Amino acid sequence: MRTVKLSPRAAFSISVEAECITPDRFAPLSLSEIGAQPVWLGNRVMHLSELFMVEGDDCTATAGDVVIQLMGDFSRVKRVGEGMSAGSIEAWGSVGMHAGNNMKGGLFAISGNADDWLAREMRGGKIIVRGDAGNYVGSGYRGEKCGMRGGEIEISGRVGAFLGEHLCGGSIRVQGDAGDFPGAANQGGSIFIGGSTYLPGAEMSKGTITVKGEAKVLPSYQRTEVVELEGEAYQKYAGDLVDGGKGELFVRAL
Amino acid sequence: MKMIIKGGIVYDPANGIFGEEMDLCIDQGRVIEQAGGEVIDARGLLVMPGGVDAHSHIAGKKVNTGRIMRPDDSRLGTEPRSGVCRPSTGYTVPNCYAMGYRYARLGYTTAFEAATPILEARHTHEELAEIPIIDKGALTLFGNNWQVMECVRDKDIPKLAAYVAWGLRSARGYGVKIVNPGGGEAWGFGANVKSHRDNVPGFDVTPAEIIRGLAEANEMLRLPHSIHIHFNNLGKPGNYTTALETLELLKDIKPGRMRQVVHVAHMQFSAYGGTSWRDFESKAPAIADYFNTHSHATMDMGQLLFGSATTMTADAPLEYGNARLTHNKWSNHDIELEESSGVVPMIYFRKMLVNAVQWAIGLELALLVRDPWKTLMTTDHPNGSPFVNYPEVITLLMSRAKREAEMATLHEQLPNRTTLPVIEREMDWTEIAIMTRAAPARILGLTDKGHLGVGADGDVSIYSIRPEDVDAARDHALVKKALSSALYTIKGGVVVAKEGRILAAPEGRTYWVDATVPDADHDRLMPEIEDKFAKYYSVQLSNYAVQDAYLPSSRVIRAGLSVEPAKSARTLAEVA
Repeated sequence: MRTVKLSPRAAFSISVEAECITPDRFAPLSLSEIGAQPVWLGNRVMHLSELFMVEGDDCTATAGDVVIQLMGDFSRVKRVGEGMSAGSIEAWGSVGMHAGNNMKGGLFAISGNADDWLAREMRGGKIIVRGDAGNYVGSGYRGEKCGMRGGEIEISGRVGAFLGEHLCGGSIRVQGDAGDFPGAANQGGSIFIGGSTYLPGAEMSKGTITVKGEAKVLPSYQRTEVVELEGEAYQKYAGDLVDGGKGELFVRAL
Repeated sequence: MKMIIKGGIVYDPANGIFGEEMDLCIDQGRVIEQAGGEVIDARGLLVMPGGVDAHSHIAGKKVNTGRIMRPDDSRLGTEPRSGVCRPSTGYTVPNCYAMGYRYARLGYTTAFEAATPILEARHTHEELAEIPIIDKGALTLFGNNWQVMECVRDKDIPKLAAYVAWGLRSARGYGVKIVNPGGGEAWGFGANVKSHRDNVPGFDVTPAEIIRGLAEANEMLRLPHSIHIHFNNLGKPGNYTTALETLELLKDIKPGRMRQVVHVAHMQFSAYGGTSWRDFESKAPAIADYFNTHSHATMDMGQLLFGSATTMTADAPLEYGNARLTHNKWSNHDIELEESSGVVPMIYFRKMLVNAVQWAIGLELALLVRDPWKTLMTTDHPNGSPFVNYPEVITLLMSRAKREAEMATLHEQLPNRTTLPVIEREMDWTEIAIMTRAAPARILGLTDKGHLGVGADGDVSIYSIRPEDVDAARDHALVKKALSSALYTIKGGVVVAKEGRILAAPEGRTYWVDATVPDADHDRLMPEIEDKFAKYYSVQLSNYAVQDAYLPSSRVIRAGLSVEPAKSARTLAEVA
């Protein structure tokens, strides 16, 4: 195991883009080489070590053996863990937008909150968020037909709107409430929402959405039978019929 | 600025030069007999005229609609600003700057936008003006135009010619494009025409009459280019009969200049057999046979390659079908009295039999038509694939081994649906130079392009490949790499690209055609046009025509009833 610790040298007043913070990129580099990786502060290119303290084991390793610990507030640092395929990232605070973009494998654990576009177009691996997450978790980016295709996301808190938009696979579990339109245009992924939400599964063609709290269901969903899931009764709906969809929506029967 | 290109192995088929070692001299943007100046060392390397693309969708409203619809495409090809280059974006629908840079990197110096309605020509020219480096032009759509259909119905070809001349001048257009004639008008009522003999709703004409009428008007005006047609029923199984019957309609028309009477756009999409997608098969051999036995028609391949594309056409009912078929996003547009259009993103899959057969048909067409002067290499950018993939198409034409390696990855039913596996032909550099340079220039009627004779434009591409040592059939990977970024691209005597880097981004010219007609015909026509603007158009007649300010660097080609046919043009027969 090789541990690399990053901590911001100061609070950022503008956003930082740091897609280099992944086990794959760090694995073959020494600490000083890691410190020389380019990051963007606003419209300026800087070295990682100019913005962050870089500490930890000064040896090389395979990506799978690298643990990156993010100490402090990374809520203005974007694209952390982009495209990572192995290893793990432990964020002890919050992370910024686009965290775990296009992630293919490994583990990304976040103790605080995640911002918008968490795990967009994720392919595999696992993301755990102890706090809340923003809008468009596991979605496809603008214009994209396919969002998350595989992997797992677990969020203990609440999430914003458009959870799992254009989902093509994988599973998302949210313990708290979800904002408007979760699972919009779902094409085969599964979403569990522990709290309440509004208008789930618009244009869903395939896949499953389960809502344990309350949900306003679209009129284009057909109410079918009551089923039992994990010992509780759920009302099942089929849709979205607007799109000839074969998706399944379960809302806990009150 | 003077320049001498030394020792290259030159392929200039229009002037009968097939791989000879020679020096080329350029002065003031043109090829001359002798010059000194800057020396470019091309010893042993492949030298050809700058590439000419006669059919590509590079500017205008539907291209821009593609960009708006596809932010997902925009992020695929981003390159930051650097040197003389402004930022690039996009893959299938690049931004204007990227169009110029990417053509230049391939060694292309001329590209023609294939479809612009008169009403939207101003937008096309705004974009063309922003495309750096290359020379360009835009074909103008006439096939679903009310005025055209009325003239055809009245069998008044002189008045139709007057309208075509007026339309080209209003659009600053280069030639007559016909897309699914009558079908675009029928689409306004949710219908389409099913054959060239159907009546167009609301007009007592058939697509066949529209096509013949426009061809006659085109030849009466002696336009540099022939009619340029996208057939009815394009993209549908069994449509090869429509293609052959439409070509038969035109074989007795006398060309006004020494060139073809009809150019068929993206033939691949109209060479389909079968009765549905289930028994879909290639009819390329039948089409190729027709081209081999007739000399009034030319075509471009419209080659399809696997991966991402964006289909865009003035054939709106076709795009409706595409959108239904793929469940994809769709844009549909009505252009008042002139056309309709649509845009649908598309992905072509190797493992999908239909896509594999389409891929094979384009290659079959090019390989089975014996005369390369009749078949242009295109991908109907971005309908079949983006133009940046031209090197892939060229290497497929040059190497049977590459075709076989590709076919091994495709659907196993492919050999039952096409003849591609048994075609042995492997093209040589002369044939490639014809299909990508000499023939498109001749088919468009651009006398200064596509060759390196004295007086021609100083557009040259040099590739880091030794045609005398390299066996393109075997070393196709090497060839593809060399063609993907020209060692030098020289445009008008200026080195614009070197080893894939853009060194200069001069403004390109825009060609358009000004054809004269007798005043009497023009005067008969104008009251009818004025009436249409008063009743139907959403703009005033006075705001309709593209003003000269939109063409900062234009090149006018004169044509019309009082102009003698160009003497420099050679016939297809002469070349053969």
